Amino acid sequence: MRKKILVFFGLLVVSFIAGIIFAPFIQEGSYPLKEWVDKAIHPPGISRMVILYFSTPEEEVLTPVERKITLPEGTNSQIKAILQELIKGPQDTSYEPTLPAETKIRAAYVRESTIYVDFFSPLTEKHPGGTSAELISIYSVVNTLLENFPAYSQVQILIDGKPQQTLAGHIDIRGPFAKNSEIVKRPK
Amino acid sequence: MKKVLVLVSLFFFLFVQSSQAEQYFSVSEIKLNSQPTFSQILIRVPEGTGYVAGELSNPPRIVLNLFPLKINLAHQQMSVSDKFVQEIHLLKESENVVKVIVELNISNYNFGISFQNQAKVIVIDIRPPEKDIITALLKVEEVDAAENPLYFDPWQNAPQRKERGIYRIVIDAGHGGKDPGAIGPSGLREKDITLAIAKKLSELLKQNSQFEVVLTRSSDEFISLDRRAEIANQARGELFISIHANAGWDMRDRGVETFYNSQYAYGEGAKDVAIRENAAFGANDLPFSVQNIIWDLIQNQYRQESKELAQIVQEKLAKITGAPDRGVKSAPFYVLRGASMPAVLVEVGFISNPLEEKKLKETEYQKIITTGIHKGIVSHVNSFNKRLNTSRE
Repeated sequence: MRKKILVFFGLLVVSFIAGIIFAPFIQEGSYPLKEWVDKAIHPPGISRMVILYFSTPEEEVLTPVERKITLPEGTNSQIKAILQELIKGPQDTSYEPTLPAETKIRAAYVRESTIYVDFFSPLTEKHPGGTSAELISIYSVVNTLLENFPAYSQVQILIDGKPQQTLAGHIDIRGPFAKNSEIVKRPK
Repeated sequence: MKKVLVLVSLFFFLFVQSSQAEQYFSVSEIKLNSQPTFSQILIRVPEGTGYVAGELSNPPRIVLNLFPLKINLAHQQMSVSDKFVQEIHLLKESENVVKVIVELNISNYNFGISFQNQAKVIVIDIRPPEKDIITALLKVEEVDAAENPLYFDPWQNAPQRKERGIYRIVIDAGHGGKDPGAIGPSGLREKDITLAIAKKLSELLKQNSQFEVVLTRSSDEFISLDRRAEIANQARGELFISIHANAGWDMRDRGVETFYNSQYAYGEGAKDVAIRENAAFGANDLPFSVQNIIWDLIQNQYRQESKELAQIVQEKLAKITGAPDRGVKSAPFYVLRGASMPAVLVEVGFISNPLEEKKLKETEYQKIITTGIHKGIVSHVNSFNKRLNTSRE
């Protein structure tokens, strides 16, 4: 019995020493110091299920798709993170993207009941045009944000910091948009 | 049956004030057209002036805030005492806002406000109440038929309607010039297709002497969306048809669809805020929402007719082309918003779909589309005129 305890402690001591010797190799490989400091300053955030609206081929409808993503702290950063996911497009091939892949977010912020999303000009420059594609782009952004941030009631789209007449020549985007449930089709 | 009414234009200059500085607005800019069946107040305003209207009771009055507009005196008054209107007051609401109060003699009335003469004249129509909108609409046409101009511009001889019913059609070829619109997989440009169809449609409509056609563009040039609506309004068009080709996020997207403008995209709530009696807007911080509400109010008058037109055009177009029928939808279109007439936007097919792109390129298919839209317009105009005539008997 005593022998067993001694062997146990002996193993403990050996593995402890081994740990000290090998730890720097293991640690340095997976956690460089800079990244470790970064992580301490910016906590990794919470993993949350978000809803993204993607388009459905042949129909002018949006379908809500769930995706688990890591959300940073703060509403503005969360809006950006969710939009980034929307820009990435669907993983399921039965849906289509709703924004040009080149779309970049300039800023996102909230004021009273409105969410403001400010894009860089590639959103309009790289947009395929067409009323259908334009409606899908606008309402995928609007519905996605209002679905995930129910405390807000409308979304204002800006390009390069300013309100625009249209994204691609059809739909008036000078003002904010409320959620459009007519364009939504729930998956069966 | 035509009642021959002598055109009586009674203009009361009861308080003509020679304005000391020309930029100041005064009561001399207000004129009145008193008729047995209606009163019309015409307010001449500088270009770019907007308005927000509301109603108050006890005593019944219509209140308009005009902005940006300056007035030198705090209060000006104009006595009218006709069948509908008692007095008109002008008040300085704030530095850039002039309040117009129209005191009425009757508490049961209908009124309508519209811009005329390239938005340089605001017209307030006051009429006895009608049972429903259709009756009211027909009444308007009846006055027209009696050669009694609905709109009479005392400052300028505006062109008047020759006949009752619809006849001047504005056709808007989408995009153009530096704006190619959507581009198909083989390089076909939306702007070329829309122009080709617009021109063909124009020719087809002109064959019928009932129609006059105004094109917002007849060549490959860039015209802003604001300018397109302005051209339509200046021409005093009676129907606005915007031609577009569609594009989607998937190559399989296909079919035809017709849109009309949606109502109050910016929410009813905004309207309430805007017409709150004490709301004052400076010229520099005129809320965007107010400008939109003005346009929405104008387009809303024609919403029902726009919807009917969209339905019949869509039906004929889907039938003749055999393309999938995506239906009639409403959305807040920039170009439709500014048009003060029934307005629709026709998506003739998906340029982003390789098969439809190939078809859209063919002159023969363009002719088929044109015939479909033409049938829709003719059918709409005929049923509109029929309703007018039935109500007369």
